[in-house]
Amino acid sequence: MASDNETRDMFVETASRLFSEQATREIINAFEKGTWPADLWKQVEETGLPWAAVPENVGGAGGNVGDLMAVLREAGRNAVPLPLAETGLGAMIAGEAGLTPPSGPLALAISESGAPLRIEGGKVSGKAKRVAFASVCDNIVVVASGQVAIVPKSAVKIDVKQGQTGEPYDDVSFDAAAASASAPSKVSPERALELAALARTNQMTGAADRILAITTQYSKERVQFGRSISTFQAIQHMLAELSTYVAAVAAAARVAARDAEEGGDSFSIWAAKTQASDAANKICAIAHQSMGAMGFTYEHILHHYTRRLWVWRRDYGSESYWGAKLGRAMCEAGPDAMWPSLTASKVAT
Amino acid sequence: MTMPKLDFPPFRLPPDAEELRTEVRAFLKEILPNLSAGERFKSWNSRSPEFSKAMGDKGWIGITWPKKYGGAEKSFLHRYVITEELLANGAPAGSHWVADRQSGPNILRYGSEEMKDTILPRIVKGECFFAIGMSEPDSGSDLASVRTRADKVEGGWRVNGTKIWTSGAHRSHYAITLLRTSGQREDRHRGLSQLVIDLKSPGITIRPIINLNGKHDWNEVVFRDCFVPDSMMLGEEGDGWLQVTGELAYERSGPERILTNIHVLKELIRIVGRQPGHQAQVTIGKLAARVWSLRQMSLSVAGMLQAGKSPAVESSVTKDLGTHFQQDLPEIARVLGESEAADENDIQEFLDVCQMATLAAPAYSIQGGTTQVLRGIIARGLGLR
Ligand SMILES: Cc1cc2nc3c(=O)[nH]c(=O)nc-3n(C[C@H](O)[C@H](O)[C@H](O)COP(=O)(O)OP(=O)(O)OC[C@H]3O[C@@H](n4cnc5c(N)ncnc54)[C@H](O)[C@@H]3O)c2cc1C
Repeated sequence: MASDNETRDMFVETASRLFSEQATREIINAFEKGTWPADLWKQVEETGLPWAAVPENVGGAGGNVGDLMAVLREAGRNAVPLPLAETGLGAMIAGEAGLTPPSGPLALAISESGAPLRIEGGKVSGKAKRVAFASVCDNIVVVASGQVAIVPKSAVKIDVKQGQTGEPYDDVSFDAAAASASAPSKVSPERALELAALARTNQMTGAADRILAITTQYSKERVQFGRSISTFQAIQHMLAELSTYVAAVAAAARVAARDAEEGGDSFSIWAAKTQASDAANKICAIAHQSMGAMGFTYEHILHHYTRRLWVWRRDYGSESYWGAKLGRAMCEAGPDAMWPSLTASKVAT
Repeated sequence: MTMPKLDFPPFRLPPDAEELRTEVRAFLKEILPNLSAGERFKSWNSRSPEFSKAMGDKGWIGITWPKKYGGAEKSFLHRYVITEELLANGAPAGSHWVADRQSGPNILRYGSEEMKDTILPRIVKGECFFAIGMSEPDSGSDLASVRTRADKVEGGWRVNGTKIWTSGAHRSHYAITLLRTSGQREDRHRGLSQLVIDLKSPGITIRPIINLNGKHDWNEVVFRDCFVPDSMMLGEEGDGWLQVTGELAYERSGPERILTNIHVLKELIRIVGRQPGHQAQVTIGKLAARVWSLRQMSLSVAGMLQAGKSPAVESSVTKDLGTHFQQDLPEIARVLGESEAADENDIQEFLDVCQMATLAAPAYSIQGGTTQVLRGIIARGLGLR
């Protein structure tokens, strides 16, 4: 179902205002030191933004996955230190299976073929690594083959680990953990991983946009040799190049979000996450170079965004993971399918 | 904090444009000889008046122009699809390329009724080809410094000066030529005009310039007291700079900035075979992701142009990124293909394809505005200058 423009604009406006006003540097840094931003979460929860894509009959806002991605772009633009992608998708997947998602933040554990999670008779077994925000969430949504389950934190063992964003990336052990609810689900673990990759890609484009804004602004303010460094052609060209990578991520992320919203093929997500992850290092490298020592300090906010890009490129499948998937499919289809696949955003057969 | 405005809204081609794509594919499959990639690349973007005639017969040149000049009044997006297919299939569309892309639209917009009546229908039929007379020996990136002059005489203009790098001038009928009609070189863009010059006119000498591949496509075009009638003034005298920048927007935004050597990716997929190793999969996936993303950017620009906007910065961003993709592609393909070839016997032909693509690549980030010029435009768009 496509969302109308007005609904979308409303979500984006609400998200943009709330995040830019409330997700302050202090809150982001404090979370890194271990203080969960409970007030920020409460404010966000009150707006209903995390449930943007959850069906209304189970208490959601009745938007769609495209609305959620638009919200996540704003979250990325403001380095919001909350599990918005995870809650948004976990609640959407649970809601589509007819479960009523609990309030509060949700983590998302997706079964992987190498180390599968199993849901049997309302109990979950297996181990999941690098589960973002698990230790600060009351519940974990588990996506396994054919089933989705909601598992309270009290039922699992969590090995708390801090990721390079300063946010938790925990290992979670499910030992016949009792789910508070479970149901058959049409969303496979593979699809859930794609949606999660799409979510990160959209967060990445928000962060990348912000990096461009920070660096261009700084270049106008910083004076050396008696003039602002933005007047040096070397800086102008660096930032122009930076903007080309930022633009590529933005175009890819938004098209992939649109395709997902319209029920399109997975191709766009594979390509978009590959593109975003592949560009992340170039974006960060140029951004840091253009700001000298200041950008390398903890004091300056640049690292809120560059560190996230460097971590997010790895989350839910890196450019190696999705690139291989895309490359494998393109090779299997053969040389003559290459161009038709690119134009259709779907591997031609 | 104000955000720099770089916007690439998603854009999807309308269904009738995609239907046209199917038609163009079928036509090209039928008309193009079944060449190997190595052979095909030699005719890549080359000039074939016969092919252009066939395109004209299909009605696929000047497709956006008014019916009274022979056009089909289709959208810019239909033209976009045709261009994509010509590039992706290695069609020898070089003869009519410039006329269809920029000279025709320029004439349509600024030309006199007489000029439109005499020239546009011939372009549409695939019988009339154009060259671009912008660069000069002393004016490359700094185009506003051109020295070629046109002095007013009875009934027209007397042109003196030298144009250079004029692609295809020896095989074209006209060149839209940027020159000075008043003032001095120091006046820069004031006093510049564009004349549509018949390249068979007396007083014109066309000399070949051979490029590093040994090919003759470039020329030096010398005008010595060449008479050009008043009727061939494009637009108002003195508006040349405005018109030329509009022309460059057409030149910069098209799919040729992304797809000119896309056959290299196709051949790479062929050489590594249906089940390549993991590293080959990753590398090919990354290349595919890059060109797919670029195509989405280019489509977005096309959508904005169709909507009547002028996305000058966005098209410069796309060209800059696109030309660098096209320069990376043969290098990445060469290294991967040589180490991951499924059949050793095919390696040499594949490496020849890469080699030829490599030798063509330096031009991509020079023609239509160098990397540095584009980055200057982008920097201005970012508010840095
Ligand atoms: C294959 C090909 C086909 C062409 N076909 C045509 C044609 O049909 N008609 C036509 O008119 N022209 C044509 N050209 C010419 C083309 O438009 C020019 O080459 C281009 O504008 C650059 O000018 P130049 O070669 O004189 O380089 P220059 O302007 O001399 O540049 C040399 C170097 O200096 C850099 N530079 C220049 N100015 C600046 C600056 N302000 N800041 C930073 N760096 C700078 C450039 O980026 C470049 O790296 C063609 C070129 C090529 C390669």
